[in-house]
Amino acid sequence: MYRRICFLRSEGLSEEAQLVQGTEFAEAAARARSLCPTGPAADSLLRELMAEEEERVAQAVAFAEVLVPMLARRLPLRPSAPHAGPPETRARPRVGPGEARGVADFIDDMLAQDRLASR
Amino acid sequence: MAPNSLTFPPMTTATLEKQPAAPAPSPAASALPPARPGQSKSNTLLIGLDLGTNKSCILAGPPGSTDITVSKVIPSVVGYVKDGIVDGIITGNARILYGEDALSQMLHVELVAPLAEGVISRPEAARDFMLHLRQLADPSGKAEIRAVVGVPANAGEPARVGIRHSAQGIFSRILLIPEPFLAALGFRDDARVRQSGYVDPVVNSLFIDIGGGTSDLCLVQGYFPTRDDQISIPFAGDAIDELLYNELGRTYPNNGLSRITVREIKEAHAYVGPSRKPMDIKVVIGGKSRTLELGDAIGSACNTLIDRIYPALTTLISSASSDSVVTLLQNIIVTGGGSQIRGIDTVLQKRLADDGYESPKVRLAGQDFQRYVAIGALKAARAARENQWQVLLE
Repeated sequence: MYRRICFLRSEGLSEEAQLVQGTEFAEAAARARSLCPTGPAADSLLRELMAEEEERVAQAVAFAEVLVPMLARRLPLRPSAPHAGPPETRARPRVGPGEARGVADFIDDMLAQDRLASR
Repeated sequence: MAPNSLTFPPMTTATLEKQPAAPAPSPAASALPPARPGQSKSNTLLIGLDLGTNKSCILAGPPGSTDITVSKVIPSVVGYVKDGIVDGIITGNARILYGEDALSQMLHVELVAPLAEGVISRPEAARDFMLHLRQLADPSGKAEIRAVVGVPANAGEPARVGIRHSAQGIFSRILLIPEPFLAALGFRDDARVRQSGYVDPVVNSLFIDIGGGTSDLCLVQGYFPTRDDQISIPFAGDAIDELLYNELGRTYPNNGLSRITVREIKEAHAYVGPSRKPMDIKVVIGGKSRTLELGDAIGSACNTLIDRIYPALTTLISSASSDSVVTLLQNIIVTGGGSQIRGIDTVLQKRLADDGYESPKVRLAGQDFQRYVAIGALKAARAARENQWQVLLE
């Protein structure tokens, strides 16, 4: 559940993340605390788990940032997506009439732009 | 020309349709089961939604086909029935009315517009309005609804959050896409994309979508438009109404004309270009028929729109690459309610030509101008990959 919260934050959806944290996660954490004999030990364990998940999500996002442009470069038949570089240096992909892209590819481009903008 | 390959049922040819059934008798929120993202795909219904400041358009259909089960254009207005209204005045003693029904009962309801300048300004009303749209698309209330919703070009995160919040528990998944891009997608004739000679608007075009709250311009050149390719101007139909309303107040003091009447006058007589005088328009003031000369007032208000959008138009043209700009100039398309302003295509085209642009061609999107964004949104919904949808948490 906390991993989902971390992913929501990484997508710029901090309000949604806060919502989950304040409701589902808060309930689950309270349940976990009630099962643990000592309060401080439970809090410490919870903090540890949360830090671990944050780290895991951060690494996954960083990995995706490296992997996506790498894949885009190595797949020559597909035009490179606009997320291949930072917005200010990004070259617009040239697409001729013969190589029309699918609508889902446009949506991918849009989501990549949104992710960049939210950072 | 049929600019899209979607199948419309015969009943959907009118641009404005009344709700066939009486509205919900109580706040609609309680009338629907919660959306359940985990339900089976066969129970999924896709929606393309153009949530406009003045008018909204909803198209719905199942995934994996081109069928459209619902296609409606509805005034974006919610009417909350005033206290003390006698039983039977409102059909079914409904507490909330929507669209045309709300407007037709304006004496008995408090009219609330959920959106202003293209973004949600009254969240509660927006939520009620979306519930109504859901009921139109899925009267059973059992489908898992996935909606692609148009947002103004360059809409900021607060505007997007506003839509997502209003849609929570109503739609299961959502995708927000800028309106002018959806208009290009909706305008595209999919059946002709591979035909020689067909100029695909998604490959090289410039869309001018003039709505109620905003005018959105967008360069569409075969990739998803970047923020630099889109300009949204908070000047559109409503701003023209306001200018005209104020001008009428100056020219004909105490005329008693409501903003709704002024809008109707504009919709019937709007034009740009040289003054068209005399333009005698019959109105009823204080129960008496009067003829007002409104040629200058209407022309002046509408020409302000040209002055506002033209710099944005030339900015986007100048940002196009030199090898695409000549074709681009042949493919400038005006859509949205503003495309109904007489002469808007010829005035923009002449102004570009006078400024030395190479053989510019500006054309109107056509009779489906109110639907292109929603058509594009439904196409996007049908094409979206599973991981592209944003799950709305309940």
